[in-house]
Amino acid sequence: MIHVDDLSVRYAAATALDGVSLRVARGEKVALIGANGAGKSTLLNALSGMIPKAGGTIRLGGQLAHVPEGRQLFPDLSVDDNLRLGAFRARDRNPAWIYELFPEVGRLRQQRAGSLSGGQQQMVAIGRGLMARPDVIAIDEMSLGLAPLIVQQLAQRLSELNAERGLTLLLVEQSARVALSLCDRAYVLETGRIVAQGSAAELTDSPFVVAAYLGAPVEETS
Amino acid sequence: MRQGSRSAAIAAFAVAGFAAALLLDESALSVYVLLALTASVTVGVSLLMGHAGQVSLGHGAFYACGAYAAGLLATHGCPTWVGLLAAPLAAAAVAALVGVPLLLLRGHHLAFATLALHLMFLSLISELTITGGDVGLRGIPRLNVAGVELTSTRSYAYVSFGALFLIVVVARNILASRPGRALRALSSSEVAAASSGVAVGYYKLAVFALSAGFAGLAGGVYAFYMGYLAPGSFPVMLSIEYIVMAAVGGLGKVSGALAGSAVVFLLVHGLSRVATLSGMPSTAPIILSYAVYAVLLVSAVLFLPRGLVAWPAALWARARSRSSSAADATDAATQPAALSSAAAPAETVAPKHGSFS
Amino acid sequence: MSAFLSYLIHGIAQGSGYALVASGIIIVYRVTRVVNLAQGMFAVVAGFGTASLLEAGLPHALAEPMAIVMAAAVGVCTGYVAIGRRGTNPQASLIATLGVGVFAYAVEVLTWGDQPRSFSGLAGSHELFGVDIPRQYLLIAPITLLVFAGLELFFERTYAGKCMTACASNPYAAALQGIGVLRMGLYAFGLGGALGGIAGVLLTPLQPISYDSDVSLFVNGFAAAILAGLKRPVLALAGGLVLGVAESMVAGYSKASYQSSLALLLTLAILIAQATRREALHVVEE
Repeated sequence: MIHVDDLSVRYAAATALDGVSLRVARGEKVALIGANGAGKSTLLNALSGMIPKAGGTIRLGGQLAHVPEGRQLFPDLSVDDNLRLGAFRARDRNPAWIYELFPEVGRLRQQRAGSLSGGQQQMVAIGRGLMARPDVIAIDEMSLGLAPLIVQQLAQRLSELNAERGLTLLLVEQSARVALSLCDRAYVLETGRIVAQGSAAELTDSPFVVAAYLGAPVEETS
Repeated sequence: MRQGSRSAAIAAFAVAGFAAALLLDESALSVYVLLALTASVTVGVSLLMGHAGQVSLGHGAFYACGAYAAGLLATHGCPTWVGLLAAPLAAAAVAALVGVPLLLLRGHHLAFATLALHLMFLSLISELTITGGDVGLRGIPRLNVAGVELTSTRSYAYVSFGALFLIVVVARNILASRPGRALRALSSSEVAAASSGVAVGYYKLAVFALSAGFAGLAGGVYAFYMGYLAPGSFPVMLSIEYIVMAAVGGLGKVSGALAGSAVVFLLVHGLSRVATLSGMPSTAPIILSYAVYAVLLVSAVLFLPRGLVAWPAALWARARSRSSSAADATDAATQPAALSSAAAPAETVAPKHGSFS
Repeated sequence: MSAFLSYLIHGIAQGSGYALVASGIIIVYRVTRVVNLAQGMFAVVAGFGTASLLEAGLPHALAEPMAIVMAAAVGVCTGYVAIGRRGTNPQASLIATLGVGVFAYAVEVLTWGDQPRSFSGLAGSHELFGVDIPRQYLLIAPITLLVFAGLELFFERTYAGKCMTACASNPYAAALQGIGVLRMGLYAFGLGGALGGIAGVLLTPLQPISYDSDVSLFVNGFAAAILAGLKRPVLALAGGLVLGVAESMVAGYSKASYQSSLALLLTLAILIAQATRREALHVVEE
């Protein structure tokens, strides 16, 4: 689904990504873990075509929806409008199915997106990404600033979408805990390079990852 | 530029300028005078736009201010040298006064405010009887230096070049000094400059007043050269011309202002001469000059943001980077070994096998 | 009384024109972050265009709309110069629009000469409260209201309008949804061109225009836009009318030459007051 080979991205003179390679197969749930400034957002921006690459190849086997860091909704427009705008690329602009998926969002449909809480905004942002009927959804820092319970709910929904509709997930997180509990596989990105990769179980047990990104042992969730 | 080459450049400039004033014939001299005066204003505009990052759509007003100050004093009995001295001071004083509230504005707001300034000044001088209203101020006496009355165009060529030279020297010294370094800090980031202790507001005002003073001095010379002034001599288009010249030459650099003024002024003047040949319609000069200003301005701002003087340096840099990026590519080829050793700790975690379909 | 009424009517007409120019400035600014210094020029082009088309024998029903379409096209071209090149920052775009305006001067003088021109609008006059009002004045306000109603509808109810609003508030997020930021910018410029064109078509019969009439239109339009806080076009209507009427009163009851300075001083006062408040709150504007 996503085939990245030796990707390099440069900002002026600085190298943000250096020879990054990763694979995400259809229907997988993959995480990309890294600290601030590691290049995670840069990678997503390169995937969604927002920034040019300096080298390497990117191959996408389908439509990719990029849900950006900080949600970045259109604050003065209603939730309904935000969702409809997500369908810019698609034919069907009706958000009814999103309201079914996320009933809480349905209740907020006419509200100004800027007035929503963080968790509600994240739900709308994911909904907006889904409106384009993507094959893979890449979410940047979903858990940032959200209460663990909310994050758990979101993770649950995403898991369901993955299981029922085959939606491929690429989760980019600073918080390895969330990423590793939801996903099957993960990559670790550090200053523009992939420094580790493996199954969630392997990485959870690795002392290197624990020390740098986890702090305490991860509890098994779903 | 190092100290030695800087002094050499200034000396060369002085020699060239005075030689031209000495050798050119009468018709070329009138062009020379106006060019020197225009360049004087442009130096100030260039500094303002390049260092303090402020777009001034109203510098023609300071030019006019200096001209009218000199003219008014001279027509009311003051010796002409007093008028000439008062010109830059008056313009700088007005700028300092007006600048305190005005420089709180940024970007397009400041651009609008300076345009408003020019328009309001024109409105003012058109109304006041003392400035002669729409008809203008007439009968400004000739400059009188140490008892010698200056009547020939050549003499004004010397005076206008002298003014330009003074302005160039002052500008370069300011840029090289401690305030100048503060200015350069300002141009890259106001926030950074402020947090490192630079009194941002003070320096912005200082540059504003100084550039106005330059324009005022030029205006003063203009008043004595022409002998009469009218609001029509200072249209808004004049302010735009300064911006074009500053942008084309390269913002923030004195050499840029000089190069830009020379190129644009001579180009427009040359085209006007072509346009006034017999057979061309009477509106041809206006059409050509507007078209030239417009094309130069847009080209400069879109394609040569650092201006003409940066062009050779940019070409040089590009040539060098092409050869060095070739070097980069060979470096990358030798990288993988280094990369995998850095990833050594990860090897114990997960062998790099692809567990995907 | 009749003097007051005639100043009022004149002020409303002028103010409507300012409001239209202002709405163009606001729309372009919100979508592209660029202040379009050539906004007044669209009105001049439309005015000249209408005059030519009428002289060529076209009826009013065709001439004015065609001129407005022409102005919209000029708007798109201006936008292309200002934002067409990747990486042009707003300050460079501002100066680029200045360049386009100056180039327009050259084209205008070439095509239509340097003398003022006009054309006759709606013929005849109407008596209202004892004052003879030329019909053209009565045409301006309703049309302006219609245009603003249309703008509100466009931005609040249509998908395209919402795309533009999205672009205005968050160009990055809009681009992520596939909304072409450059394309939206060009639409904004085109819309600005049309709005300026409408202003030109409405105002030229009242007062002959020449190639440099755009300065006064821009200055007043920008003033009205500032009064509206550069936010919603509909606020510009109020701003423009206030400005137009105030200027008309000043021109009528005191000196005509001071009316332009009024707009300028008012706008500057507001801008500086806003900036002073920002400084006091230590808000840094990028």
